[in-house]
Amino acid sequence: MAQVQTAEMETGHRGVAPGAPILEVAGLNKRFGGLQAINNVSLNVAKGSIHAIIGPNGAGKSTFLNCMIGLIEPDTGEVNFEGRSIKGLTPHRIIQRGIARVFQTPQIFPVMSLVDNVTIAALAKRDGEFKFNPIKPLNGANSARQEAEAILEQVGLADQRHGDAEHLSRGDKRRLELAICIAAHAKLLLLDEPTAGMSRHDTNRTIDLLKTISETGMTKVIIEHDMHVVFSLAQRVTVLAQGTVIADGTPEEVRVNPKVKEAYLGGAH
Amino acid sequence: MSTETASAPVRAAGNAGVKTFGREITFMMIFSAIVLTMPFWITLIGGYQGLATKIMVWAIFAVGFDILLGFTGLLSFGHAAFFGGAAYITGVVFRDYTSEIIVAFLASQVGVMILAVIIGFLSIRRTGIYFSILTLAFASMLFAAALAIFAPFTGGYDGLTMRTTPSLFGMPMQGLSVFYMGAFMLIFGFAVARTLKNSAFGLMLRSIKENPMRLEYTGVNVWAYKMAAFIISAHFAAVAGFLMVVYEPYVATKFLHWSTSGEVVIMSVIGGVGTLLGPIIGAAFLMYFENVVQSFIGEQWKLVLGLIFVLVVIFLPGGFMQLGSMIWKATGQKAFGGAPPPEGPRKHDSERE
Amino acid sequence: MDMNALFLQLLTGLQLGAIYALIALGLTLIFGTLGFVNFAHGALYVIAIYAAVTIGANTSFVAAIVLVPLLLFLIGVVFERGLIRHFYTRPHTDQILITFGIAIVVEELMKWWFGANNIPFNLPEWGSGLMVFYSDWSTVPPVPVFQDAPSLWVPFIDGFVTYQFWRVILIVVALITVGALFALLQFTRFGLVVRAGMRDPEMLRFLGINISQKFAIVVGMGAAIAGVAGVFGGPVTQVTPGVGMALLVPSFLVVVIGGMGSLTGALVAAILIGMALSFTAEIADLQQIVIYLIAVVVLLVRPRGLFGKKGVFE
Repeated sequence: MAQVQTAEMETGHRGVAPGAPILEVAGLNKRFGGLQAINNVSLNVAKGSIHAIIGPNGAGKSTFLNCMIGLIEPDTGEVNFEGRSIKGLTPHRIIQRGIARVFQTPQIFPVMSLVDNVTIAALAKRDGEFKFNPIKPLNGANSARQEAEAILEQVGLADQRHGDAEHLSRGDKRRLELAICIAAHAKLLLLDEPTAGMSRHDTNRTIDLLKTISETGMTKVIIEHDMHVVFSLAQRVTVLAQGTVIADGTPEEVRVNPKVKEAYLGGAH
Repeated sequence: MSTETASAPVRAAGNAGVKTFGREITFMMIFSAIVLTMPFWITLIGGYQGLATKIMVWAIFAVGFDILLGFTGLLSFGHAAFFGGAAYITGVVFRDYTSEIIVAFLASQVGVMILAVIIGFLSIRRTGIYFSILTLAFASMLFAAALAIFAPFTGGYDGLTMRTTPSLFGMPMQGLSVFYMGAFMLIFGFAVARTLKNSAFGLMLRSIKENPMRLEYTGVNVWAYKMAAFIISAHFAAVAGFLMVVYEPYVATKFLHWSTSGEVVIMSVIGGVGTLLGPIIGAAFLMYFENVVQSFIGEQWKLVLGLIFVLVVIFLPGGFMQLGSMIWKATGQKAFGGAPPPEGPRKHDSERE
Repeated sequence: MDMNALFLQLLTGLQLGAIYALIALGLTLIFGTLGFVNFAHGALYVIAIYAAVTIGANTSFVAAIVLVPLLLFLIGVVFERGLIRHFYTRPHTDQILITFGIAIVVEELMKWWFGANNIPFNLPEWGSGLMVFYSDWSTVPPVPVFQDAPSLWVPFIDGFVTYQFWRVILIVVALITVGALFALLQFTRFGLVVRAGMRDPEMLRFLGINISQKFAIVVGMGAAIAGVAGVFGGPVTQVTPGVGMALLVPSFLVVVIGGMGSLTGALVAAILIGMALSFTAEIADLQQIVIYLIAVVVLLVRPRGLFGKKGVFE
């Protein structure tokens, strides 16, 4: 059991040079009835960066994220991942391209061991969206299982790996979800308030983990309310308000932007 | 760390090695011995030889059903379509073409595959509730069609009767030979289902029951896995339907009726969903109840059965298997033959909380 | 087409649709608010018809009309508080299983007490006989069976036609019940909460409105509507323990065709199904499967049903 391999992240994907945009969003619009949830949003996410999207409640942040992964189909606009359009694809196809999603409430497989949780993602990466392989036993000799054990080691959940996932603390559930995303070898990770509802301790642990994952070169887009998290992690910040981009820049630039203050203090004048 | 691993509970997809394989062989041998000797011991407890064959039929049906309900978490109320469909195809082959069972077997398997693809395509668009209703609806449609439009082939309300004796390469298949054919089919099907459960494919099916959304957002085509599970379980139902007609060359309209789907649901739940062994025990229990216990308690046996079913759903969501593992725990014994401890459906039930 | 035949087929379609509507409305109401499929809804109908027969035979039919829906309301409340309530946190399949189990138990109990065969449902004096629809009264033969029957002037028909009065009553009662249900949901605070709960239970919980306290009443209402269906529909369908399950399957389809959780959808689909059954009556083979054909076509064209909304239990 002791042999621990560091999860190897795929390098050199599809000719996207570091720093070039891995995700390009152009002219995205989404309307719900009378509400323009997303209004002509354009955005580039640099490969390897941590990109935060912030904004007051109802700014359309979650809707934006959901448009990325096929949960919501945008009305107009283009979404390109590594130079190829992912608009209109089913969720699992988008994920197979190399995008992973972390939900506000950690989404895991509750009555299954941690190893099984992560193995599922490793299998999804290894075998693709569907593979009929009902014969070979999925035991310790299986490559997907070995990788799952290694990733659990990496995120610090190794000692609980045979317990059921539902008994984990909220912070650990989040770690498990991140382990699932690592096992999927995601190139781009979309996180929706990853520290919501967590204690300060768990929040800091999650931040540390996210930083560790970043060293592997995984790009992240993160929606966050907690400015502590944003400024500890993000290299670039986009501010959404009422479905439009009102500011975009480094955390420092955004912090001093008068439009941002106005949006947050909302109609104080 | 390694001691920890050893003491951790043996999981379905658990630790590797020869030991697991050896246990599996031992378990299957004990299972086979009990099944193959059934015609002899069942007479000791008030049954008859034919009842053993009937138990084979329903146990095969229930094992396949568990792949769908127990692993994948999809509750179908339409599996009578596959059981009855295969029975009718088998019956028509016997009546109009040949008494050779291999031909009937192949024809029923092909026919049911087509049927399963169509019904699956129409039903697996949505989750739980929709799926149950739609499978019920399409099976009811087939039932109605068999009585009306297809009546010239099916014999309508009278059912399908034939005068042939089924044969295998010219040898007549009757009595014990039908039982042994069924017993081998059950043992084979049970082994297949257990292998499937421990495979990567099995893990995917079980994760659908746990959290289909997470699975989809892990890059897995959930629909395709559901469809595969549906089709596999339909094939098991088809084997059962075929065997039923070989056992008794008559096709009752009831085989297509929703109550047949209901029966397989009842046996799976009473026995213990998701355990594979549980539904087999459930099938044996229900057949025994229907054929032997009925003679003691009379007309109200169905009422008693209904009450047992309700009580199991409320208090014992893991069925007889859960009861068994509770007794085992209470008496402090280990599972016999090194078989994995019976796993109940492990829902949020009182046992765990 | 012959106007008289068309008129009668329309009436029959309405009458068939009326029973499906009453059962499907209860189903979809419970499904929409509580989020589970009640496989025991047919059993409630069975309880209602046997209660109506028993009460009708021992006292008067009017007593049955009053008491049966009340009795069913109580049964519904007890059913929810005593059993269903404990299944909200269990998986959906368990909710289906428990109601399925209850359906079996009720059916077998009724078989035990009343036998498996159809028993006669005696109509009250005032509800039996024919009803005359006429455009020209002079064409109606001067015999008491027509002359003393209830009558209604209808344009377009040729001379006169007759239809069983009880079936007309069934249509009218169904219309009143449906109207009352819609009014209750539209104009009362209770209805407002229930409708909001059908649309977005999460939001309601967020606002601090505890909808689960209303669940018992919702199930009670669904059961009471099944009670109304039993009293007035029993004489038209059959009085057997198996009739509940036989009606449940098409009622499920009505709910699915209409869009799960949509009351308007259930109503429209019920009438659609009723008409389809009525207009295919002369082609028996087609009539047997017409409901399913409609369901398949609707689901292929509109997977969420006619009035189904995105996001409801997907």
